[in-house]
Amino acid sequence: MKPAPFDYVAPQTIDEALQILADAGGGATILAGGQTLMPLLNLRMSQPFILVDINRIAGLQGVSRVDGATRVGPATRQFQALGDERLARDLPVFVEALSHVGHHQTRNRGTIGGSVALGEPAAEMPATAVALGATIEIRSQRGTRRVPAREFYVGPYLTVLEPDELVVAIDYPDWPQGHVTLFREVTQRPGDFALVGLVGALTVEGGRIARAGIAWFGMGPTPIAAVQAEAALVGKALSEIDPEAIAGLAVADTAPFTDHHASTEYRRTVGRRIFARQLREKLDIREAA
Amino acid sequence: MNAPGIPAGRFIGKRMPRKEDPRLLTGRGQFVDDIALPGMLHCAFARTPIARGKIVSIDTSAAREVPGVHMIYTAEDFADQTVRMRGFFVEQEVPVRTPPLCEGRIAHVGEPFAMVVADTRHIAEDACSLIELEYEEEDPVITMAQARTGAPVHPSMADNMAGMTGVDEIGAELQAKLDKSAFVIEEHVVHQRVAQSPMETRGIVATRDGPEEFTLYITCQSPHLVARWVTLTLDIPDMSIKVIAKDVGGSFGLKNNPWREETAVMIAALKFGRPLKWIEDRYEYFIGANQAREQEMTLKLGFDTEGHMTCGHGDYDNNNGAFPHGPGDNLAVHLFMWPAYKMPDYGFVTRGCYTNTPGQAAYRGPWQMESLIREAALDRAARRLNIEPYEIRRRNLITAADQPATTGMGIMVDDITPHECMEMLLEKFDVAAFRKEQAAARKEGRYLGLGIATYIEPTAVSGIMSSMTGEFAQVRIDPTGRVTASLSTHSQGHGTATTMAQVIADRIGVRYEDVTVFEGDNSTGAFGPGAAGSRQGVIAGGAAFTASDMLVEKVKAIAAHMLNANAESITIDDGVIHVAGAPEMSMPLRELAEVAHGHPARLPEGMVSGLEAQYRYQGLPMVMTSAAHLCVVEVSAETGFVEIKRWMSAEDCGTVINPAVVEGQIAGGLAQGIGCVLLEEIAFDARGNPTAATYKDYLLPTISDVPEFEFHHRNTPSKSTGGMRGVGEGGAIIGPPTLCNAIIDALTPFGELAIDLPFSPTKLLGFIEGRDLSGGH
Amino acid sequence: MSDHDIAMTINGRRHSGTVESRISLSDFLRGDAGYTGVHVGCEHGVCGACTVMVDGRAVRSCLMLAVQADGADVVTVEGLAAPDGTLHPVQQAFRDEHALQCGFCTPGFVMTLAALTQGGARPSEEELVGALSGNLCRCTGYQGIKRACRRLSGSNMADAGEHA
Repeated sequence: MKPAPFDYVAPQTIDEALQILADAGGGATILAGGQTLMPLLNLRMSQPFILVDINRIAGLQGVSRVDGATRVGPATRQFQALGDERLARDLPVFVEALSHVGHHQTRNRGTIGGSVALGEPAAEMPATAVALGATIEIRSQRGTRRVPAREFYVGPYLTVLEPDELVVAIDYPDWPQGHVTLFREVTQRPGDFALVGLVGALTVEGGRIARAGIAWFGMGPTPIAAVQAEAALVGKALSEIDPEAIAGLAVADTAPFTDHHASTEYRRTVGRRIFARQLREKLDIREAA
Repeated sequence: MNAPGIPAGRFIGKRMPRKEDPRLLTGRGQFVDDIALPGMLHCAFARTPIARGKIVSIDTSAAREVPGVHMIYTAEDFADQTVRMRGFFVEQEVPVRTPPLCEGRIAHVGEPFAMVVADTRHIAEDACSLIELEYEEEDPVITMAQARTGAPVHPSMADNMAGMTGVDEIGAELQAKLDKSAFVIEEHVVHQRVAQSPMETRGIVATRDGPEEFTLYITCQSPHLVARWVTLTLDIPDMSIKVIAKDVGGSFGLKNNPWREETAVMIAALKFGRPLKWIEDRYEYFIGANQAREQEMTLKLGFDTEGHMTCGHGDYDNNNGAFPHGPGDNLAVHLFMWPAYKMPDYGFVTRGCYTNTPGQAAYRGPWQMESLIREAALDRAARRLNIEPYEIRRRNLITAADQPATTGMGIMVDDITPHECMEMLLEKFDVAAFRKEQAAARKEGRYLGLGIATYIEPTAVSGIMSSMTGEFAQVRIDPTGRVTASLSTHSQGHGTATTMAQVIADRIGVRYEDVTVFEGDNSTGAFGPGAAGSRQGVIAGGAAFTASDMLVEKVKAIAAHMLNANAESITIDDGVIHVAGAPEMSMPLRELAEVAHGHPARLPEGMVSGLEAQYRYQGLPMVMTSAAHLCVVEVSAETGFVEIKRWMSAEDCGTVINPAVVEGQIAGGLAQGIGCVLLEEIAFDARGNPTAATYKDYLLPTISDVPEFEFHHRNTPSKSTGGMRGVGEGGAIIGPPTLCNAIIDALTPFGELAIDLPFSPTKLLGFIEGRDLSGGH
Repeated sequence: MSDHDIAMTINGRRHSGTVESRISLSDFLRGDAGYTGVHVGCEHGVCGACTVMVDGRAVRSCLMLAVQADGADVVTVEGLAAPDGTLHPVQQAFRDEHALQCGFCTPGFVMTLAALTQGGARPSEEELVGALSGNLCRCTGYQGIKRACRRLSGSNMADAGEHA
């Protein structure tokens, strides 16, 4: 199919983009990498009046340091982030998750911000932002606000973004060197959206879990933070961790659905299993006999 | 690689690089969407959003106002055009009225009900979105169970029965035999609906060139068959019809014949007088194109205490959808259930029904379902007797020593080798060692499984069913010494321009590079049904053999005359004519060709000038191909995923013209079989809406879903000229039973897994856990 | 609706035109520019047949607007072979290994591999095969394509003899 007609603008600056968004009165859609939006346009499932292409805004690109966090420009292409040495060193699970996003060709074009802002519930990057405790910086002509990723997602493809707002940065807080990473996804084929997936980070200090950030994808209408599991882990000595029990708590926070590809109960069952296995493997906990 | 009885080939049996590849690799192929004609306009269809109901009104007024829209057609605009729709068996009209555009009764979601002609496809789609359809919705008949009791999909019919073969009930005699058997295996298979899914969707460019000429560029399986189809369907016997399909991006049965949308474009092109193009998009393909399979079957097999079959009965249902290409398709093939086996007595019934879903089309390997259930049932019998799968087959397969034999279904076989193919694999795969590995793995919670399946396939059917006839070859040596040939063949990836050139170069004795095969246009060659039923390599290969040999006879006669030599002493090698024992008399073929074309006085007395020969090879009624496959899988008890660890194929397709082409056919079929078992599914919700309408939801196997196959060839020449046997469909037939048997074997610690395809992770994990994970879905 | 004047380099040649906003790069390359080797198999970014190189990287041309390629350097499958017809190493590997049948998906596979082996790069076989997860082929079962990847990879010692 071919897209319905639309206007197209490619602003050079953030301010220019914000002006266009404000003027459009809700009729504008932001085009970043386009790897999810373009299919929706082609299928006429999305029919904006005006498409605002942010690919030519230099200020939205690149990886930088801000106080206590790594700042990723939303228009940074996925392949660029994959090749970024600082990200590989500081946020290895971000890079691991990213390597599972779509396919080689879509990662060459797709952006970090596009994936984060679109909020596909079975996608890796929204869950990674939730797990790592990222903060999303949003601007409009009305001002700037910083929204924790955990408060950003409302439903499938639905976020707190207002029509006149633009994501201008995603700040991933620092995790100490050597932190433990969790990542596992179950997909039918490489590059498919996950039937069930989890991503997270843990820090261990003095034999105890000091900090935990874990989120699910493909397990509900949004990426879902495993808050009960996080709470149960923090402060616990490694020897006290019962991976099965923690995985049970983690699954309790989810609300998976049944679709063409897998059932609710499948997602819960396998989710619990891969969660427990990740804890065992990454924390080197022996399986109960 | 050459079969016994076939002279050592210069090119036959070699992995020659394909003639088609240089243009395809450099982007210079010619697919239908690559055609642009002056003045050409673009078509798009408005499609029904409901599965069943009545059209109350169609309002096209807003759509007509869109700038760039030239015309909008609905069914009433076509009322004055005869349409006698037919499928691949072109002589017969289909029994249910199948209009190009919906005529008032809506029979499935995605039916075309209006067609827009516009400057661009974009504009045509804009206009389609403005067409307003008012309808009265009715409850649809979606499943085969609903079809049995539901109101007829077609009001002209008394019920939803589309066709039936065999006898509905098990006869008393057969029942008595079943009752007397030592044990009976009852196998039930639910096979999902799938999409043939060629990478190039359907499409057509139609242009009426004046009142008497009609030219079609159409993606199809045979330009010759399409020309005949158009003449008959549109009842335009006085028009000259030219059909061109140089490159076709796969078909697999889907493009056997044009269907509703192509017909609508043809009619509009006849009426409107400008070239029209329609290229199906992938979304339209999934909601509107004809599909395949969706079958259910129960097989009862009686065995004696030693595991020999005593009798059997099959009960088979097929969901034909609303507008199948042929309502009887897939029903008669049940006849080919048993010719490889000693089956003393078999009864069956097959039924096809109409439902409010897209119609069924042919798909590679129409007896895949029969092979699947048979091979699965044999494995269950083996487990019952605690013997290996190969052992139950050894006891029941027809071996070389048994032949000739007439099987229970009345089919004579005298040169099949499924048993020998299986033994070939067993020489290379240590089953006992595997069983040890399997037992050890199970202790670690890893579930390995071994699948074996055997089959034979009737290929190259000729002369016993309409459309399926002989193939034609005309071979010419032009005055430059180059060889050109026009054949009735058509390739949708089969590489017939390569394999036929190998045969011709080999038989004449010229360089492979010096041979060009023309096909893909009904103005060259002659009638042939194209790629259908694994036939072209066999029958057209035979035609190319004989036509080349006939041409060689003429060359030899001329050479003998020119060189004052004996015709028997003359050979042609590498494009040079030699006389035995007289190397100084050698001359290039070109020299002789110049004489044959330009100097008739130098030819033997009475010989006509020119250097060409043509031959239509009728072929045999059918040629049997045999194979055995073996695969090893591991099923994850954690996720229900299947990993294919090894796959071996031993097939016997007689003379192999090009091993790379043969293996390509087997591999492609196997990949489709793997998709069918693990990934692919066209399903509908209760209102008849498809649940997969994009490639995001319809899962084709990717490069990492298909293992590397190990190929082994047996080469028992057939009695067909050249000794070839068909190989186009075998992989798609034997892939599913091989893989299903391996998965079932892997999971025997959890019980006997029934076949309900696809084996999704949800289904397999549910079986492993002994609970229904589907949530009633 | 808006029209845009655009100019880009396609296969080393300058090409300019006026396009409507909604025209995809694939439709522009096929239609206006005449590079029909760019094949459109799904228009939702899954099949990969439309893959071309944009500024040196393999992308799906159905998921880009033509206007977005303004100023870009685009290479299609028509731009790979040498002017004298000599096939590009990826094309040659595909021919030698019988990696295609109908040829419809082929340009997408070839362009992905051509992008990854630019400048004589020899990625591992796993990397090459991994990059093709987003390319669908319905004919070949991927056997020849895998062999072509092996041949093009850094792990390739010599052309395998088993298929001689």
